Amino acid sequence: MSEAVLKTENLSKTYPMGKRKVPALSDLNLQVNKGEFVAVMGPSGSGKTTLLNVLGCLDKPTGGKMILDKVDVANLPEKQLYKIRRNKIGFIFQTFNLLPYLNAVENVELPMECTRKPRNERKQKARELLGLVGLAGREEHRPQRLSAGEQQRVAIARALANDPAIILADEPTGNLDTKNKFEIVKLLGTLNIERGTTIVMVTHDNQVASHAERVLFLNDGRITKEKQGLHLAKKKLQCPYCGSRIQPKDERCPSCRKKLVPAEEEESI
Amino acid sequence: MRAFLVIVALSFSMAIMISVPAGITANQEAAQSLTENFNSTITSMQQEINKSTTLIECQASPSQGIPSAMSSARRFEFGRTEVFINETVGDEIRTIEGVKDVVPFLQKSSEETTSETLNTPRGSFNISTPLYTITGVCLNTTFINNYSILPTNITGRNLCEGDSGVLLMSLSLAEYYNKGVGDTVNIYGEPFTVVGIYNSTDQGTTRARTVYMNITDAQTVTGQTGNVSRFDVYADNISYVEGIANVIKAAYPELYVTTYEDRLANLQNLQTTYTTTLNNAESTLSQTQNVATQEIIIAVAATSIIVFFVMLYTVRERTKEIGILKAIGFSGWNIMSQFMLEGILISLMAGAVGIAIGSVGAPFLSSLLLPHMSLFGSGGRFQFGSSSANPAVPELGSVAATPDPQIMLLALGGAMLLGALGSLYPAWRASRIRPAEAMRYE
Repeated sequence: MSEAVLKTENLSKTYPMGKRKVPALSDLNLQVNKGEFVAVMGPSGSGKTTLLNVLGCLDKPTGGKMILDKVDVANLPEKQLYKIRRNKIGFIFQTFNLLPYLNAVENVELPMECTRKPRNERKQKARELLGLVGLAGREEHRPQRLSAGEQQRVAIARALANDPAIILADEPTGNLDTKNKFEIVKLLGTLNIERGTTIVMVTHDNQVASHAERVLFLNDGRITKEKQGLHLAKKKLQCPYCGSRIQPKDERCPSCRKKLVPAEEEESI
Repeated sequence: MRAFLVIVALSFSMAIMISVPAGITANQEAAQSLTENFNSTITSMQQEINKSTTLIECQASPSQGIPSAMSSARRFEFGRTEVFINETVGDEIRTIEGVKDVVPFLQKSSEETTSETLNTPRGSFNISTPLYTITGVCLNTTFINNYSILPTNITGRNLCEGDSGVLLMSLSLAEYYNKGVGDTVNIYGEPFTVVGIYNSTDQGTTRARTVYMNITDAQTVTGQTGNVSRFDVYADNISYVEGIANVIKAAYPELYVTTYEDRLANLQNLQTTYTTTLNNAESTLSQTQNVATQEIIIAVAATSIIVFFVMLYTVRERTKEIGILKAIGFSGWNIMSQFMLEGILISLMAGAVGIAIGSVGAPFLSSLLLPHMSLFGSGGRFQFGSSSANPAVPELGSVAATPDPQIMLLALGGAMLLGALGSLYPAWRASRIRPAEAMRYE
């Protein structure tokens, strides 16, 4: 049986609105195993971002249990939660949230600044991570000199900085064009396959969600449906024109250069 | 840009904080020097008076003119009528019983004048005063030896019996004319050789701007042949003084007669005037210190408030950034220390700039921010900070505020403290921001 990195039991979160309490999450039970790539889908207001904030210890649940890497974090005080965020969680945001006055390396170094890691080690690791996400040679660029896709890659490298137990991605492709969207999801898939990084990704995009192993559907703060995803990064793709089936290194067919789609006989979401 | 504006604003506060104490110190020093100046004047006059208990001064006067002790001390009086009397009066006085010697003097203002700016509460006026006084002295060896009729502390030689066409000149005048011993100067168009230069600073105020020459030469060049302006009458002993003075007063009403007692009374009057002046200065100084304290308090408060609001604004503006930092693992303390460090750094930079401004602009800033010290009340003649272009006119005191290095260091430490204090609450608020809320902040 796979080891659970994240497990919630009857997790709930309500927001006070005047005298009323509005539920954002209701008795949510969820388990994410080590090395899993889980997508959470749902319409606007379904509680996706609240779920991610609670899972990421940015917000406290109002009820239930939440075990993260064997630690019950639901009732931890803020004085200890920052350590959980620092060491066990990596965040990827829709708007990248890089600090504009720092260059790529400095942005990636940032989560390591509060650790006891020596400065040169931090710098070296940041460079390695930037290389991993395909930004070698762009280390000294500030965010404004990078494209949206590149900025998100820096954010991914930053999320990996402290070798977290889990990466939480909130609409990581929401601000990207189609080409970059595909590349970023593929990068997340690659990290999941090659490094065994556990990823929970919130998205409202079917195509993006299809890259995950498991897709959870959230509605009114509850998981209403769960399906197996294609985890396309692990699957073969098919060229819609020439019919070639390949394990692609990019999104275009190497023979006719057409954009690839999932192979027909595979189950689609 | 915001940091720059903060630095500019804070640096001016810092400049005030170091300039104002410097101004106060300078004013205290000036007041101290004024007190010393007054005390030395009083002491030297007291000594002169004590040396001549048998002296009866007889000054030619239009009626009951200006008391001589006063006229001697307040040399800068202008518009004074110079009155002369026939020198034969001296021979007549010598016949009075108990008179030992009668020493005649001729004192006449120079033709050359100097322009001075007079600061009064009603405004500044330019006035012309004589540049120096010519004093003709009867160069009789007995008089020179027995009575203090010539200055001492001479470079070159003193005047002696038989001298003619030569003079003694005060050091300040010699410097003004750029003359030395052996040089020739023109007095009323006549050439005179400088045989000696006396140091005017230790001769009391009466001799600071005087040239001494043979009385006959003085009478000739000033066109007062046969006239004198003063007799110093010496009695055989102190018991004769009052009688002689009464006889002279009765016989020569045009002479203003002062005895040892009169001079002592005049000196006491002068002392009272000085005391009043010093009290005025002291009260102004204390008022100035109060103003300075208020200004420093305002500067400190303004500095803290500026840092406080700027940091508060910075925290508000960077709420999302705080959220991001918290999301990636920064603790509340990490955030708080970062903001406090920023506040301290900005204040330190402002402190350094303020010290630079204060060092250069301390005299200007302190004169701008502190009330002027008027020494003679509302009709005040001298003011600290006033200066004269004429080196022959001695200044009572001028303020040159120079910030103390200790005050500079203190200001730098103060800047750091203010930066820390001003940014304490904003930094604490930043540390308390909840990350989920901060991330939503745009």
